[in-house]
Amino acid sequence: MERTPLPITPALPTAPVEPSRSLLPAPGREDRGQESYAGARVADPNKFWNPYLAGVALGLVLLTSFLVMGNGLGASGASLRAGIAALDVIAPGHVAKTAPLARAAESEHVAWLVFEILGVLLGGFVAAYTSGRLKKEILKGPRIGNGARLALALSGGVLMGIAAKMTRGCTSGQALSGGALLSVGSWAFMFSVFGGGYALAWFMRREWR
Amino acid sequence: MTFPILPAHELGLVVAVLIGFAFGFVLERAGFGRAPKLAAQFYGTDMTVFKVMFGAIVTAMLGLVLASTLGLTSFKTVADHAASATFLLPMVAGGFLLGAGFIMSGYCPGTSFVAMASGKLDGLYTVLGVIVGQVAWAELEWRPGFAAFHNAGNLGNYYLWELFHLPAQAGPVIVALAVTVMAVGCFLGAEKLEKVLAGRADPVARATPAGRPGRLVFAGFAAVVLVGLAGLAIPTGSQARTREAASIGQVDLARRVFDQPWKVRVIDLRSVEACAAKRIPGSECVPAEKLGTLGLADADPSRDLVLVATEDLRELPAAAAAYPGRVYALQGGWKGWEAFALAAPSPPAPGAPAPEIDQYRLRAGIRAAMTGMKAAPPPPMPTAAPAGPRKAGGGCSG
Repeated sequence: MERTPLPITPALPTAPVEPSRSLLPAPGREDRGQESYAGARVADPNKFWNPYLAGVALGLVLLTSFLVMGNGLGASGASLRAGIAALDVIAPGHVAKTAPLARAAESEHVAWLVFEILGVLLGGFVAAYTSGRLKKEILKGPRIGNGARLALALSGGVLMGIAAKMTRGCTSGQALSGGALLSVGSWAFMFSVFGGGYALAWFMRREWR
Repeated sequence: MTFPILPAHELGLVVAVLIGFAFGFVLERAGFGRAPKLAAQFYGTDMTVFKVMFGAIVTAMLGLVLASTLGLTSFKTVADHAASATFLLPMVAGGFLLGAGFIMSGYCPGTSFVAMASGKLDGLYTVLGVIVGQVAWAELEWRPGFAAFHNAGNLGNYYLWELFHLPAQAGPVIVALAVTVMAVGCFLGAEKLEKVLAGRADPVARATPAGRPGRLVFAGFAAVVLVGLAGLAIPTGSQARTREAASIGQVDLARRVFDQPWKVRVIDLRSVEACAAKRIPGSECVPAEKLGTLGLADADPSRDLVLVATEDLRELPAAAAAYPGRVYALQGGWKGWEAFALAAPSPPAPGAPAPEIDQYRLRAGIRAAMTGMKAAPPPPMPTAAPAGPRKAGGGCSG
C-alpha cells in the first residue's frame, strides 16, 4: 500500500524525526519497503476518519479555542517565531532593528501560536503512532524522485511562508478561523487559495499522479 | 456574557498546548499529514481537504451562533477578538501564492507540522521553507514600495454580514445559515465528483464517502440551523425592543470620545441653537426631524452611532433604526451629560473609600477636558502609601 517506503538517501538530515524511529512497533522497523508490512500492523495506515466527522471534530476544537482563548487556530506565526529564534543566533541584534520581526517576537498572540504548535506536534505524533503512520519517509507520486520532491517541498514552503506573512495568517489562521468568523478577507483568501492550487495542479501532475 | 474566558497568560499557554494537541491529532487522523491525500484535492479524486475544512468552518460558526443565541457570547465580540483585519489586495494575491505553494509542497503551513511530527521528510522541508519565506517577507514588508502593497485595501475588521448590509444583530445568523446551506450543497457535489472520478483515484488518496456518519453530520447541521432560525424568529420582538433601549452611559461615551473618536459618530438631536451653544466634542448637530436627510441606512457601519436627545430617548427614530451598525442612545440625554461632564463634581469627604476617590478623579478629569477648568484635588487618603495622595492632580490636566 505504501508507495515510498523508506528509500532515503543517507545524505538527508534526519535529526528531528530520529527519536520516533525507536518507538515504531517491531514490524515497522524491519520493513524495507514491501507491501506486506502494512498488513502486519494492527492499524491500517490508509484508514482515515470519515471526513465529515473529522470536520466536526476540528470545528469543535476551533470553537473551544474561540470560546476559551478568544483566538482562532493558527500555524504560520509559530514558523515566524522559529525563524526569529534562528536569526537571533545567526545575526544578534538584527531582529530588534526590523520592525515586523521585533513586533512578532514580543507578540502575545505569537506566543500562543508557538505553544499551540508544540501541542500540534505532540498530537500529530501520537495520532500517527497510534494509527501506524509514524514512519520516516518521503510522500510523493510514483513518477518523481526524492530529490525533486524535497526541492519542490522546500520551494513550495518558501512561497507559502511569503504568502502567509502577506495575508496575516495561513490556511489555519486565515481560512479556517477567519472563515468561521465570516471575515471578508478570510473568504477572499480562501477562494484565492483554491484558485492558486487548481491553477497550478496541471503543471504539478508529475509530482503526484 | 460568559465567553470568551481569556485565561491568564501562563494558564493560557497550557491551554494552548492542549488545544494544539487536539488540533494536531484531528489533522493527522483526517489524513492531513499525508501530502498525496492533500494534493488529491486539486485533482478532484479526493475532496477530503474541502470536506474537513468546510465541515470545521460550519461547525465552529454554528457553535458560535448557538452560543450567541443562548446569550453566552456575542458573535461579533469573538470575531473582533479573534479575526484579523481585512487587507484585500495582499490577501487575494497572497492566497493565490499560498495555493501555488500548497500544490507544490503538498501541505499547508499547519499540516506540514503534522507531517513533520509523523516522520515525513517532505513535511520537514516544507516547514523549513515556510520559516525562510516568513522571515524573507518580514524583511521586505515594511520597506518603501513593499509597504504600500502589504497594507493595501485595509478595510479593518470587515465581515460578510456587513458586506451584504445586514443588521448587526441578525446578520451573523443569516450569513451563517446561508453558508451552511451552501456548504452542504457543495458536500453533495463533492460526493458526486468523487464517484465520477473514482476510477482515477490513486490508492494512497482514496476518497472516503459520506456514508452514515456523513448523513448524521448533515442532519446535525440542519438541526442547529433550525435552532438558529428559531432563535432569530423568537427574539425579533425583543431585539426590536433592545434596539429601542440600547443606551450608553456617560462614562462610556466620554471614554470613547477621548480614546477612539474615530469609532463613534455622535449626533445631537436637539435644536440647532442649543446644539451650537454647547455640545459633546465632535458631535454633529442634526435636529431629530432632519435625521432622515443623513441617509443613515446606507452609511458606513464601522462607527457606532450615539444619539443625544434633550432627555432620555424613548424611541429610536426610524431613520436611526435603519443604521446598519450599532446604535446607542445617551443615557439621560443632554441633561444627564451636562450634570455629569460639565458640572464640577463635589470632592469626596476625607477618608472616603478608594473607588469613590477614583470616581471623583475620573469625573474631574472629564470635566477638565470638556470645559478646560481644573477641579480641586481630592482629599488625601489617610490609609494609602505616602506617595499616593501627592499624585492626585486634576486628572488628565494634572
